[in-house]
Amino acid sequence: MTVAREEIVSQEYKYGFHDDVTYLAETKVGLTRQTVVEISGFKAEPDWMLQFRLRAYDHFLARAMPTWIPESVQHLDFSKIVYYRKPSEGEEKSWDDVPEKIKQTFEKLGIPEAERKFLAGVGAQYDSEVVYHSVREELSKIGVVFMGMDQGLREYPEIVKKYFGTVIPPEDNKFAALNSAVWSGGSFVYIPKGVEVPLPLQAYFRINGENTGQFERTLIIADEGSKVHYIEGCTAPIYTTDALHAAVVEVIALPGAQIRYTTIQNWSRDVYNLVTKRAHAHARSRVEWVDANTGSRASVKYPAIYLRGEGASAEVISVAFAGQGQHQDTGAKAVHLAPNTRSRIVSKSVSKNGGRATYRGTLKVAPGATGVVASVRCDALLLDEASRSDTYPYIDIQEDDTTMTHEATVGKVSADQIFYLMSRGLTENEATNLIVQGFLEVFTKELPMEYAIEFNRLVKMEMEGSLG
Amino acid sequence: MTVSTEASAEASTPDGATAVLKPAALTPSAKPALRPGVSPARSRRAPAELPFTFADAALAAALGEERGEPAWLREDRTAAAADFARLPVESNQLYTGYVDFRAADLSGARPFLRGADAPAIGADASLPEGAAGVIELRDDVVVRLALEPDLVARGVVLETLGAAMARDAAGIRDALLATPLPTDEKLAALSRGFWSQGIHLHVPDGVHVERPILLRWAAGTPERALLGRTIIRIGIDASASVIEDQVAPGPAIACAAGEPVPQGLVGATSEIHLGAGATLSFASIQDLPLATTLLHQRAATLGRGATLKLALAQLGARIVRSRIDNRLMGQGSSVEQVEIVFGGTDQLFDLTSYTRHVGEDTTGNLLSKAVLQQGSRAYIKGLIRIEQTARGTDSFLGEFGMILDRKSRSVTVPSLEIDQPDCKRAAHASSVGPIDPAQLFYLESRGITPDEARKFITLGFLEPVVARVPLESERERLWGLLEAKWAQRRDEDAPAA
Repeated sequence: MTVAREEIVSQEYKYGFHDDVTYLAETKVGLTRQTVVEISGFKAEPDWMLQFRLRAYDHFLARAMPTWIPESVQHLDFSKIVYYRKPSEGEEKSWDDVPEKIKQTFEKLGIPEAERKFLAGVGAQYDSEVVYHSVREELSKIGVVFMGMDQGLREYPEIVKKYFGTVIPPEDNKFAALNSAVWSGGSFVYIPKGVEVPLPLQAYFRINGENTGQFERTLIIADEGSKVHYIEGCTAPIYTTDALHAAVVEVIALPGAQIRYTTIQNWSRDVYNLVTKRAHAHARSRVEWVDANTGSRASVKYPAIYLRGEGASAEVISVAFAGQGQHQDTGAKAVHLAPNTRSRIVSKSVSKNGGRATYRGTLKVAPGATGVVASVRCDALLLDEASRSDTYPYIDIQEDDTTMTHEATVGKVSADQIFYLMSRGLTENEATNLIVQGFLEVFTKELPMEYAIEFNRLVKMEMEGSLG
Repeated sequence: MTVSTEASAEASTPDGATAVLKPAALTPSAKPALRPGVSPARSRRAPAELPFTFADAALAAALGEERGEPAWLREDRTAAAADFARLPVESNQLYTGYVDFRAADLSGARPFLRGADAPAIGADASLPEGAAGVIELRDDVVVRLALEPDLVARGVVLETLGAAMARDAAGIRDALLATPLPTDEKLAALSRGFWSQGIHLHVPDGVHVERPILLRWAAGTPERALLGRTIIRIGIDASASVIEDQVAPGPAIACAAGEPVPQGLVGATSEIHLGAGATLSFASIQDLPLATTLLHQRAATLGRGATLKLALAQLGARIVRSRIDNRLMGQGSSVEQVEIVFGGTDQLFDLTSYTRHVGEDTTGNLLSKAVLQQGSRAYIKGLIRIEQTARGTDSFLGEFGMILDRKSRSVTVPSLEIDQPDCKRAAHASSVGPIDPAQLFYLESRGITPDEARKFITLGFLEPVVARVPLESERERLWGLLEAKWAQRRDEDAPAA
């Protein structure tokens, strides 16, 4: 990370601004058993959580680095990272300190003024708190719990203890172990039985210093018959000084519940984004991951759904945009463990300017899961000869009455289409942009309107090479 | 010149004496079994651990010595033995989870050493009806060899590799050393280092062999490890069609209840060189004994405008681990590959296919189809690789499965790695499903019994390979094997009397 990171910073990290935040509490550089104990101590956590963290830490040490992930990730130096910092209260930076280029990016994306300040990391707390307060009041009226994970652990210890780490145990993979050992921040969401949340829950309303933490941990529980849409991330680039983002997101849809989780990941181009996202879908529930990856240097993320109850259904829509120096290693997993379950995976990727997009996915039908219907569709666009696209789908079927289809294609933007659009007065750039937007529409159309508009602008900027 | 292979192998294999003693010591009755019918040795081994130990540097040296091979070939064996020792069983990280040799028990398998180069005394020298040539081996003994005189006159050669060495060592040297076999593959190194018998077919430039040439190999003798190579060279603008039969060396072995059938190992290659404008149709019917582990490496390099048509039927053996590498080097070259699997009792078919597009305007059309029943498994892995130089590629990979009962399992991993956007097509498709009820209904409405209808649909699913076998008698043989496999299922499903 050392040399490579400096290179990236000097070449590409055009918006880097120094934050001079003084920290009230932070651990020493590097990761030891003491670091884990300290983090738990700072937060005054119950003993079971400390034990959970220590168990995860032991596994992190024992677990070898996977050898198939993007090469740059394999060279991560875990001893150079500060694993916990608690930002000081009321510390603000000035909007004037934000580089002009960043402000222009926000302008181009059409981000509202209040959000811009937050996204730029300057004291937008008071602005958003106002918005958040009104949302929070509305939510608490219907019994919805939506708060930081740390606060959730303090206020709802029983619920957290019951579900935390049950979907993604620390032993799942090396990065889940790392997150489990040093997690901080993230969201805790509980939707009571039968409650339908009318508006999407947006992670960035719940603003505090821990919101975009390196090791955020999110737990969403939708009780029987409830319905919720959770949105994280935003189209504007998230600037962080942390080079590693290792999150864990656990989602539980109890019988009859519906959960949609939408992500727009646009970390700055020197971040390693290693995320484990998994949902348990119980009987007749429905879980949807709507996931876009445009930022980061390397992303390793395969949102998964374990269909555990009869009649559950799952959908993953995953799009990736890999530009210069980027490797998006993303995909989806659907694991059918119960009868009459359904899943659909749609993946679209665009590679440009030497970027590499990899689809890696699993579709598994376990013995006993009869009457499964599953489909996987992967399409990739390669925009130039320097770029690369890979597709690695794993399909493991152990039941005789499964209906499964899988299709994948890789191609370029067709010259005919470009010619047609140019004959209608578009420039070549505009034509290509339009075609790419159309290619990604399967994702865009699932977004709330304002996100869709911003996302299309983002794609346009990526295409023009004016971003990152 | 029929040297008894058994005697010499035991005498000169460095650790031959102990190897011969091992099997008795490892039978379940000799050691306490953890579970009935499972030997402790078997249950301890990791899935990816090879089930045999005979392949070491000493054996490679002994082979070169015993066969009186020139230095360059001995060096190749030594290098291959070192590669074999060094390489992992699965070199591709994508597929490491799909290797399983646990059902194989070959700790006592003894390799062959000195194969006969020429037909045995009294060997058959007749041509099968409709064929232009035939070579038939039983283990490492040549029992039939014939080639149309007209083809001999035009320079076509069909012989053992030993005969090729004796006739023109320099001529075969390139084919042996510059093999299309992948260098990162442990099991390719196994064949290169330890082969004791082989077939060489050469069709010179411009020669068209109209009728098929039959390469039949009877192998899978219990407690033996047969490692052979098959080298096929088709010259510039030449053409040929080849049928490869892999069959049992004798009637099936019956054992007392509870006693495992002794197992055998077959290691094989198909090393195909196609010159510019060459065409090869290659059909294979694999029906080895059920106690066999088959390790098969097929690799082809295609010159400018060359065409390769592969039609492969996998029916026999307990464990098949096969890898195919098609390298489309020349501009406009194309490969069409159809592979079918009909799995029965606990069989495992572990089949990987690599298609590398290097030249411009190359075509790859690959289709794999598996019908699985009675606890059989298929791991079908395919990788299309389109290199940056390969503009105008048209590549398709299809992997389709039909699972007939709840004990069977289908794994498909159709992968793509693409570095060149300018392609006509780069796609794969995969599906798994039961017998289509709509098709069943249609056939039944025409008065066909449900049972017959199921059979029609299932065997029809596998028809693409049958249709591509170029010899009438072989087509019928394949069809008979498929029907027998279907009947086997019926027998097992029939209620006990």
